[in-house]
Amino acid sequence: MHVSCVDSAFAAREGGHISVAQVEAREVQLEAPSGLWNEAWRRLRRNPAAIVGFVLVSIFVVTAVFAPLVAPYGPLEQGLEGGRLDFASPSWSHPFGLDPLGRDLFSRVVYGARYSLLIGVVSVAIGLSIGMVIGAVAGYLGRWFDSVLMRLMDIMLAIPGLLLAIGIVAALGPGLIQIMAAVGATQIPIFARLLRGSILATRETDYVLAARAVGVKGRRVLASHILPNSLSPVIVQGTLALATAIIDVAGLGFLGLGPQDPSTPEWGTMLTDTTRYLQTAPFLALIPGAAIVVSVLGFNLIGDGLREALDPKFRGRA
Amino acid sequence: MLRFAVRRLLLLVPILLGLSILVFVWIRALPGGPAQALLGERATPETVAQIERQYGLDEPVHVQYWKYIQRTAEFDLGTSVTSRRPVKDELAERFPATIELSLAAMIFSVVFGIPLGFIAAKRYGTWLDHTSLVASLIGISIPIFFLAILLKYVFAVKLGLLPTVGRASVLIDFSHPTKFYVLDAILAGNLEALWDVLKHLILPAVALGSIPLAIIARITRAAVLDVQNEDYVRVARAKGLAPREVDTRHILRNALLPIMTIIGLQTGLLLSGAVLTETVFAWPGMGTWLVGAIRARDFPVLQGGILFVALVFVLVNLVVDLAYALVNPRIRVS
Repeated sequence: MHVSCVDSAFAAREGGHISVAQVEAREVQLEAPSGLWNEAWRRLRRNPAAIVGFVLVSIFVVTAVFAPLVAPYGPLEQGLEGGRLDFASPSWSHPFGLDPLGRDLFSRVVYGARYSLLIGVVSVAIGLSIGMVIGAVAGYLGRWFDSVLMRLMDIMLAIPGLLLAIGIVAALGPGLIQIMAAVGATQIPIFARLLRGSILATRETDYVLAARAVGVKGRRVLASHILPNSLSPVIVQGTLALATAIIDVAGLGFLGLGPQDPSTPEWGTMLTDTTRYLQTAPFLALIPGAAIVVSVLGFNLIGDGLREALDPKFRGRA
Repeated sequence: MLRFAVRRLLLLVPILLGLSILVFVWIRALPGGPAQALLGERATPETVAQIERQYGLDEPVHVQYWKYIQRTAEFDLGTSVTSRRPVKDELAERFPATIELSLAAMIFSVVFGIPLGFIAAKRYGTWLDHTSLVASLIGISIPIFFLAILLKYVFAVKLGLLPTVGRASVLIDFSHPTKFYVLDAILAGNLEALWDVLKHLILPAVALGSIPLAIIARITRAAVLDVQNEDYVRVARAKGLAPREVDTRHILRNALLPIMTIIGLQTGLLLSGAVLTETVFAWPGMGTWLVGAIRARDFPVLQGGILFVALVFVLVNLVVDLAYALVNPRIRVS
């Protein structure tokens, strides 16, 4: 084993004197059990797919946050160079070309990252917060609350996400805030179920029972014992939910149900009327679409990687 | 088995009632009320009152609901605000279009998905297996409308092999008694029309069916891998059964159970995907109809359309559950 090799090397260096205490000390050092997070991080680092995902997501987030610095032009700037106010193919000055109103597509895609990130994060935040509350109430209070709330969640889960979102937008009307609310609402049942499952699983564990036996109040038990252990599936689900949210938001935008101002550089909305330009200006559709795929792929890769890294079945191995 | 089926069928009634209430409430839960939303900018107190009288929105809620139930039972779903045609007529045209597309997509995904998954399982660990995993990962990251646009670009625009929009070429004329164009072409004995209709169907069906295909392939692979290690497979092989027979009689048959569940769950995915795919290919189905109604705030269409879609959804789920119970006897006793 590792210990003996290293120790014999050490012993050889130090002239062959090594005490049992020193051996044991080094043993503890070398074999100290790492926490769940350290182990997970190490496994994640060695997962090539997760690294790729991380790179993609970083590019996405940096582009979104630093959009004004990354984009050479504003998203609404219409180039009046050459007197043309029309679309143009990619060129050196405009690497992605110009859209039908003469706006630089590269800049619009860059600014579009902001919308996707914003709407994605807000939707998932809505789903997560409301979902976790519902799940916590259902899991902890049990009985009647549990049945009713979970039935409701089941009904919501039965309807496919996009259709549910479309239904909500149909009631609220199209718009940016509305699609955030709609996509957020579709995320609620997922997180609710997740947290309820976590709570049910940890509720009967020894340490929780011990805490309650000692007299720790319900709320503190929830906060200090149950929630931290539910954290990892929530993180995994949150990442994957972000991927789904970006796709759903783009879908709603594509259908024309998103931001109603056509000058908004949202990726899905940018794809709406481009089908008729496929013959003449395919890049108008292909590039924003590729941007969506790349961002979503990044989140999916990280989510999958996290799921594997945090899987307790692998603890204590490699 | 019969008791199980009857029980599930009886459950339909309360579900339908619940659905009708949901749809009814949903239409009226709009900020500003449906009349306001319908009129948009032209809303003045007088016009709003007029609209409310016209659509009976000024009557007490339970009266409205009762009238709504009565009319729906007589299949009167109102008149579309945008087209001025009865909703029921438009539904009769739009629904078969979407069904045809969904069926084609489902057939595509099953016919190609199961063999692909099976092969990937058989060649576990090889480059083929890894490639299929990567492909399915990319597959779930592509929004379906972008995939549809890509397919359209490659096959219709660039290669010019297939048509880009609609269900059939306007140049070819044939009667449409069933509104299922493939069926109609066959019934009319018109081969040219049949070929034309099929050509129009291919791209949208492939676009719509590709994500279910990826999912079915992945599930098949997992199921076959699981079943392969079971004892009865080992016994079958030890007995000396030909590998082909082992594959079909034992592996596939038992792997089929989880696969069937997944196929049943795909209906939801197909419905939502249909909305997006239809828009890309200008396919005159329920998807384009309902989205147009949302943008135009056409409430009769939305009310009737959504109720109908929900009904279909519930029925399909029921059929899938029954089929699954048929195949897996363990379900019937639960």
